[in-house]
Amino acid sequence: MIVNILIGFGIAILGFVLQTSVAGVNRKIIGRLQKRYGPKWYQEFLDIFKLLSKRSISHGWIFDFGVIMALGGIIATAMFMPITNTFVAFAGYDNFFIFVYLLAVGMLGMAMSASGSGNPLASIGVMRALTTMLAYEVPFMIVVLTVIKLSGTSSMIGIGEFQQALGTNWFLIALPLGGIVAVISLMGMLGKKPFETYIAPAEIASGPMVEYGGKQLGMLFIMHEITVFIEVSLFVHIFLGGASNIFIFLIKYFVVYTVVNLISNVNGRFKIDQVVKFYYKWPLIMAVTQAIIAIYFGWVI
Amino acid sequence: MASIEFLILLLVASSLIAYLLTKVNSFLGSVFTIFASMFVFVSLAAYGFNATLVTDVLYLPGFTFGYTYLGAFFAIIVAFVYAMVSFFHPYFVDHYKYKNAYNMLFLLSLAGVLGAFFTDNFLQLFFFFELIVWSTMFLIPLGKSKSAAVTYFGYSAAGSFAMLFGIFVMRAQVGSFDMALGLSSLTGTNAIIVYVSFLIAAFAKLGVFPLHLWLPIAHGNAPHPFSPVLSGALVKLGAFVAVLALIRITPASGLITAINLPFAHYVVAILGAMSIVFGTLMAIREDDAKKLLAYSSMSHGGYIIVAFSLLDSVAYAGGFYHILAHALASAGAFMAIAAVARQTGTTKMSELGGIIHKMPITYIVYLVAIISMAGIPPMGGFISKWLIFQAVIDKGLIFIAVAVFFGSIGSFLYVFRPLAALFLGQELPQFKKTVKEAPILMLIPMVIITLLNIYTGVLPDKLFGFINKIIGELGFAPIVTSTFELHGYNGILNPALIAGIFGFGVVIAFIIFISLKKSKQVSLMETYTAANFIHTEELLHYSLDFYAPLERLYAKYINVMTDFFAALANKVKELGRLGKYLFMSKYVEVAIFWIVAITAFLLWGEIL
Repeated sequence: MIVNILIGFGIAILGFVLQTSVAGVNRKIIGRLQKRYGPKWYQEFLDIFKLLSKRSISHGWIFDFGVIMALGGIIATAMFMPITNTFVAFAGYDNFFIFVYLLAVGMLGMAMSASGSGNPLASIGVMRALTTMLAYEVPFMIVVLTVIKLSGTSSMIGIGEFQQALGTNWFLIALPLGGIVAVISLMGMLGKKPFETYIAPAEIASGPMVEYGGKQLGMLFIMHEITVFIEVSLFVHIFLGGASNIFIFLIKYFVVYTVVNLISNVNGRFKIDQVVKFYYKWPLIMAVTQAIIAIYFGWVI
Repeated sequence: MASIEFLILLLVASSLIAYLLTKVNSFLGSVFTIFASMFVFVSLAAYGFNATLVTDVLYLPGFTFGYTYLGAFFAIIVAFVYAMVSFFHPYFVDHYKYKNAYNMLFLLSLAGVLGAFFTDNFLQLFFFFELIVWSTMFLIPLGKSKSAAVTYFGYSAAGSFAMLFGIFVMRAQVGSFDMALGLSSLTGTNAIIVYVSFLIAAFAKLGVFPLHLWLPIAHGNAPHPFSPVLSGALVKLGAFVAVLALIRITPASGLITAINLPFAHYVVAILGAMSIVFGTLMAIREDDAKKLLAYSSMSHGGYIIVAFSLLDSVAYAGGFYHILAHALASAGAFMAIAAVARQTGTTKMSELGGIIHKMPITYIVYLVAIISMAGIPPMGGFISKWLIFQAVIDKGLIFIAVAVFFGSIGSFLYVFRPLAALFLGQELPQFKKTVKEAPILMLIPMVIITLLNIYTGVLPDKLFGFINKIIGELGFAPIVTSTFELHGYNGILNPALIAGIFGFGVVIAFIIFISLKKSKQVSLMETYTAANFIHTEELLHYSLDFYAPLERLYAKYINVMTDFFAALANKVKELGRLGKYLFMSKYVEVAIFWIVAITAFLLWGEIL
């Protein structure tokens, strides 16, 4: 048990290091895209460790407690995440729903802490974040329902192995409509443009983050990096056939994050009601259509 | 040995004693109420859990009782909520006009609940239902509004009489009021009639779409300590009837092969799904915290209906566990709101803010309750929702799944609103001096419920042992569980592991937090305001119309059901007016009309 916990904690740290590096590389890529030089690839690490070392302010116990709960919840979620078919801390318990709902504990902690800061901009940010969540989560979960129904398991490794078997395509290809929905939902999950309404720096002063500084902000940055790691890994395992060894995982991870980032950088920003309207129009229709085609008719590529 | 008859008689007797005692001294009477309801709960839990309750009848002529695991499950939950809420009475009854009647009716309705869950005869079930409705109907107007009681009674009576109709149809075919015999030997059209009429009763009691309108009115206006009973305990009567109808009756209907579900059950599941969606949407835009929780009860009632209509033991396990988890969560949340209401005098979210600094324990109680309500681990609500998801996915119910997922994510939105508006945000000046933490006697039940919320989410093994007995009793295969694990169709859940890892994560985060430089405490008013100077707390407290952009998207449609029922009432009134005009009025033209009509009728007979 101790070994499993240590492996899980190792995965959480790996996730943090991996995502922070990938995010740093992506900052460089985006810089080149915009004809800038871009920062060093390890700039994100510098930012976080600088924040952790600084003095900060606190708005009362719930402000701190929320941050701890957020980071704790996200670390716990990451500890269940498999990397490859065998590299997993708690084999058999890598259930899809654990990730979706345990992730919510962290989100709730952050929302609580942000509202506890007493800044209305933070509350508006929280409102937008929750509304965005309501928007992207339902189409995504319908697509995942289709995947679970087809593969007969909700275990991440199980879904990955189902796709690795001979004669089955990755679900991104097997369920083309669902694949598109999944990519769009992933962009919402990661808070990429055009769905970054809840951060909206110029509009609501970074929303939930407005009151943070120093170690609290640093911890929330760590939390954010691990959250992105969880969400992108979910996508890799569910739609891109998982990974039989760690290099394949790293390549798939890097590609997914970079592609999503590139798409997002040519977009503007939706208003919050446009986000909801958008997700409940085409992605939901496509997800339901895909589910009907795949489950009731059995037409899978 | 505790016998059911003894407990019921004890409750009736103690309700009279409570009436007299409260008249002498309200505190004494309330303490007596606590003891009476605690006694009943403890004896039920001790004997009911092990199935050693005595069902003999010595003193009540004509009454018969029978022990079923199903009834015991409901009775223990409801008695628990009653016992916990009774701790609030010493602090609340003095506010009400008829404080002695309050304690009396409270105990009397508990007696009705026990009778309803342990009777084996349908006519008695109806009698006890009416006892509950009549005793609670006089409790509700002691709160904010008298008309709320009328609405509550109207819907309950509609449900009860629909059930009575079903009972008579059953009696006509089977020739007996016996529950087990009656439900199993129904056939043909009668089965469909009884199925529908029982479901009307279940929907009305549970507050599920389309019979949901009484929920926010009754919950929102009931006395503060009575709302937890309504939501946590009494609406579960509807779930009980729903179990009887959906599982025990098999109406003849075509099987939809794609989803392996009879049409009759699929329609009910769709109604449950609609209830989830509409309850969620209405809860998101509600300003009164109690009404918000009432709409959430509607949405959770939808989950229960969906679970029981799937004809599947995993779904049943999820449904039963959801009844327990929601009873605990909703009782906890309502009790926290009641505590806030007692200390501040309001439940409107737009009037409150920053109570957390004065009432931290109440805040924790509410937080744990809503985590369970939103179905987030490591609380009980997650396990039940997980089981329901398992069944929904296994059957491939796509449209139900949309609603189920929507309700689950939507519940994050609405449960967060009271959290942010009541407890968090700026500390409003009017509450800075006056508000204190709730008194210790009120904190005891709230803490117990909080611990149980966590227990149900961490170690559900014992409870599933009992639920498996119910499922076996209903004639389905029990679900697979072990000490720590729950097996669904597409995965294994280990709640204790999740809770443990979550604890580990929090410890790690806490170590990181504590090992870094200490932060400087600043007041809530020292916030970033883009260099504008704002000195009023209200201006920095964002709680009114929290989800305004989202609400605007469906604001046009919120009154559809209210308008529909108003139009229906109008049509009934018109019909009545027509009847009155034709039969009761003194107009000449009506008299001539009748004379002509009767003459024509007679002549018609003559011609033939």
